[in-house]
Amino acid sequence: MDNTIDFLVIGAGPGGYACAFRAADLGRDVTIVDAREALGGVCLNEGCIPSKALLHAAEVIGEARHMSGWGITFGAPKIDLDALRAKKDSIVGHLTGGLGAIAGRRKVKTRQGTARFSGPDTVTIDGKTLGFKQAVIAVGSSPITLPGWPEDPRIWDSTAALELRAIPERLAIVGGGIIGLEMATIYSALGSDVTVIELADGLAAGADPQAVALLRTALEDDGITIHTATQVQTVKAAKTALTLACSGAFTGEIQADAIIQSVGRRANGGQIDAQAAGLTVTAQGVITADTAGQTAQPNIFAIGDVTGNPMLAHRATHQGHIAAEVACGHRAALDTALIPSVAYTNPELAWVGLTEAQAKAEGHTIKTSSFPWAASGRNLASGGGDGLTKLVYDPATNRLLGATIIGRHAGELLSELTLAMEMGATLEDIALTVHAHPTLSETTAFAAERALGTLTDL
Amino acid sequence: MSDIIASPSTRRLARERGIDIDAVAKRTGRQTIAPEDLNEKSGSPSGYTSYWDVDHSQYGPVTTEPLSRFALVTARNLAAAQALIPAVTHHDRADVSAVEQLRQSWKNDAASQGVKLTALAFHVTALARCLRHFPRFNASLSRDGTSLTLKTYVHIGIAVDTPSGLMVPVIRDADQKGLWQIAAEIIDLATRASARKIGGGEMGGASMTITSLGGIGGTAFTPIVNPPEVAILGITRTQTETVWDGDTPRPVPMVPLDLSYDHRVINGADAARFMSHYCALIADPRNLLI
Repeated sequence: MDNTIDFLVIGAGPGGYACAFRAADLGRDVTIVDAREALGGVCLNEGCIPSKALLHAAEVIGEARHMSGWGITFGAPKIDLDALRAKKDSIVGHLTGGLGAIAGRRKVKTRQGTARFSGPDTVTIDGKTLGFKQAVIAVGSSPITLPGWPEDPRIWDSTAALELRAIPERLAIVGGGIIGLEMATIYSALGSDVTVIELADGLAAGADPQAVALLRTALEDDGITIHTATQVQTVKAAKTALTLACSGAFTGEIQADAIIQSVGRRANGGQIDAQAAGLTVTAQGVITADTAGQTAQPNIFAIGDVTGNPMLAHRATHQGHIAAEVACGHRAALDTALIPSVAYTNPELAWVGLTEAQAKAEGHTIKTSSFPWAASGRNLASGGGDGLTKLVYDPATNRLLGATIIGRHAGELLSELTLAMEMGATLEDIALTVHAHPTLSETTAFAAERALGTLTDL
Repeated sequence: MSDIIASPSTRRLARERGIDIDAVAKRTGRQTIAPEDLNEKSGSPSGYTSYWDVDHSQYGPVTTEPLSRFALVTARNLAAAQALIPAVTHHDRADVSAVEQLRQSWKNDAASQGVKLTALAFHVTALARCLRHFPRFNASLSRDGTSLTLKTYVHIGIAVDTPSGLMVPVIRDADQKGLWQIAAEIIDLATRASARKIGGGEMGGASMTITSLGGIGGTAFTPIVNPPEVAILGITRTQTETVWDGDTPRPVPMVPLDLSYDHRVINGADAARFMSHYCALIADPRNLLI
């Protein structure tokens, strides 16, 4: 077939472009197809990056307000929403433009369109059928929409929320996971009166409850109302307000000028006619792939959110590299269980490996050790609030099994612990490593020293 | 920082136990050292077994004595050599009539020079000649086994049984020394080895080693190659054997010779040729002059 593509990547998110670029570096003739005009997928265009830009704005607003306690008063912020949106968009544009340049340097062909499989080695892109030798499915995930809700422009998903259409006076956020809490942080700082409604007993499912409790207190101190163990029964749209009827721990009605739905994401496996290629798509929209990215079809790989949880960009990137290598004949696999999670809230919440509860549920004999940030000089001197560095370890070997950090820059601080775990580090390894003073990273060494009984900072 | 990779906890454990991590790395041939490598057991390449986990006193009265550090080092090296080298032992015999005749006729000369002209001196001389002729026997493999270092010098190690254990002092440039000098050096080195007065510089770097039980007994044995050398020559007690010259029986003193060699470097045919050449040099010492 004349139109046969050597290496086709469907989806240009962090998994897709990483895979495409790696394959190009390995000598393949790569075509990447995506419905968006710009590369970068959800992460760059309407997820990780724009939310971080807005979270930065939120952080500065919060910091400025806190400075009144230091004798420095800035007054209420004046927010030019159009300028803020333009700034966010320019950052996104800069990064997606950079990706385009990187693709160009690698001679990766980009093609805008919606690809669907029409056979085990053919796709149809907007009506045109093309063959491929190998394909990688990297079509990601989409926000879940709750059934039975009215159609209303004031009901947003995370994508719409990051478009920064308006700053609603009253904002209800349904879903207290990472995305919901980040949205709460942003809009609360911008001036909205935010209420978060979460079905489960706790926020940020899967995270350490002790750390989540600190996060909840901090968010509530910033004026955010949080209802956990609460279910939204109905949503009614009237001209003056949206009304959420709730039951559970909180029973009653909540009036809002906008609602953000952030109840999770669903894999997009059902959108590409995968069955035509002989692939099975689960009820959750997932296309199953092994640690090497291989699907049931030897010439088709799947990476990223479409392969299921955890739906995180950094996982997708690593899967993308591996799939490209395996497709090019290398032996590779995502040979780790350590995928870090970070909520870029204020304060940040980050964790990796086993949490205390998870470790116990899996039958591990573990101990924990933590260092409260109230005793960290650097934290206090830089205006930080309450925080915690908590380590989960095996008392027989002192090997680190998991870590949770809550506090400013927790996401950055986590990498030391992720590397430590990848290298099989023990508490001694961490405690004997000289950490600069005064830093937030010291809290990691302090937590290790505390477990070893050598701590002199408490 | 050290070139050796070991985690902070491993480095601390080594310090607590008084173990030199660099030495462990050298001994194990590894660049990355884990806590397990600091256990004495890990020195044995054969790994851990339960063979030695026996309470011997249940079978009768026993006493226990610790091995000397010297003996521990030797044990470790021998275990490694036995485990790591695919060794073969080739057996042969050499007619020592002529050598014994020469020793008898030179006895007075030797005595007047204050030298004891031993049979071993002839063996060292013959082996040095032989190594010149067979350069692959005068070689060492690289650690990874991918290259062979050929030596242009000929140094002969002599295994000496001392009260404190086995030592191998070395006669340097044996191919360039006369019989008298070699004989004198053997006596000197053996005497000083027994008194543990051998310097570190007087051991190591041999081309091959001779281990002789000739003064004690035995008819054959299988010596262990002394790495990084690739071969070792064992000698047991000379026996008079009957050799037939046609129909005429003739008593001939024959010395049994056992050549153990690293089969990765030396083939059986090479070993047989090496020993034939060696036996010819011993049988007719005039060949040593050529």
